[in-house]
Amino acid sequence: MTLLPDLALVLLILTAAVWTVAVRDRRDAVIGFIVVGLLLSLAWVRLNAVDVALTEAAIGGGATGLLLLRACARLVPRPAESVLPHPAMWILTGLLCSVIAAGLAAIVVMPVEPPATLAPEAAANMGELGLGNPVTVVLLAYRALDTLLEKVVLVLALIGVWTLTPEQFWGGAPASLRAQQSSGALRLLAQVLPPVGVVIGVYLVWNGADHPGGTFQGGTVLAAMWLLVMMADLREPPEIRLHTLRLLVILGPVVFLVAGFAGFWIANGFLSYPPAFAKPIIVIVEAALALSIAVILGMLVAGPAARAPR
Amino acid sequence: MIDFLYGAAALLLLLTGLGLARMMWGPAPADRMMAAQLLGTGGGAIALLIATASGITAIIDIALVLALLAAFAAVALTLGEPGTKQPDGQANP
Repeated sequence: MTLLPDLALVLLILTAAVWTVAVRDRRDAVIGFIVVGLLLSLAWVRLNAVDVALTEAAIGGGATGLLLLRACARLVPRPAESVLPHPAMWILTGLLCSVIAAGLAAIVVMPVEPPATLAPEAAANMGELGLGNPVTVVLLAYRALDTLLEKVVLVLALIGVWTLTPEQFWGGAPASLRAQQSSGALRLLAQVLPPVGVVIGVYLVWNGADHPGGTFQGGTVLAAMWLLVMMADLREPPEIRLHTLRLLVILGPVVFLVAGFAGFWIANGFLSYPPAFAKPIIVIVEAALALSIAVILGMLVAGPAARAPR
Repeated sequence: MIDFLYGAAALLLLLTGLGLARMMWGPAPADRMMAAQLLGTGGGAIALLIATASGITAIIDIALVLALLAAFAAVALTLGEPGTKQPDGQANP
């Protein structure tokens, strides 16, 4: 009986996913993608993976949707029929996707016996760090190196976007994000929502230490609020040559690196924390990372500079 | 009571799922986006019901994020309507 709603959810996800792939219009496909993200977030809720569900809701539903819609708006429109690839490409893509899907299904249906898991050991040592959320413990303590590199990749992605800037605009501001018709409703929304959103973003970061939540989810919510203000034309995107902006972009990775190297002196080595100070260090690193993620995501959506510096 | 809450969540899922029909038929992007909006609101309600039924209060945060960002995606759609020019002179396809 309880299986039936889950089956319905799976069916909805599959339907939305197939439609997203099949639809010809770019913008419609992005909307389909947002819908799939929302449904997936519900699926993660049903699997009790609340951290993943939060990330999917924030990034899949909000940030990526906006990023892709903005990309659609910038691309040169082409008639849908002219972009059909060669049939051999279709078959190859379909085959490769089927192999991946079948492989994943095989892993899920026929799990290794006994299941290979480090979860009991991870949970056993959590007390030493003073954190209550196992996901945050893994991300910022056990596998801190992965997380650090992941944040550096974000900075590299932003540099990659900025390198697309034409020569004469270097250092200037990205193209305006404002909507075509300036609307009073949008302005009101951009004035009312951000105070609430900023509180929720900070709450998610702070909460991440002991409950589901964390830097990426909180940072994404903060970025979304900033973008909303830019879309309502209350603020323009900043010029990319600003030192404050660039400092904010690297603040998170730098603080993380400093904390990492400090581990040589105050603990056992790179990225290890002394048990007594583990929680304060992790919370400070998380706060700096969230700020950097918010700025990087905002500037990634804004895109390369498109105006000469003033 | 718990069965009732799960049942209500399932019913909401089915009803908002019907909204997918609007996403597929369209015809305008705004119509499709409305289906996504409905799913965002419905998803928030479903998350709240599951949070109460299962006792995992962290799921409430998901409802919070969904409610916050649902409006955001709709605003994003107003970017780049075809055939308009941006005031800074950059052609917007």
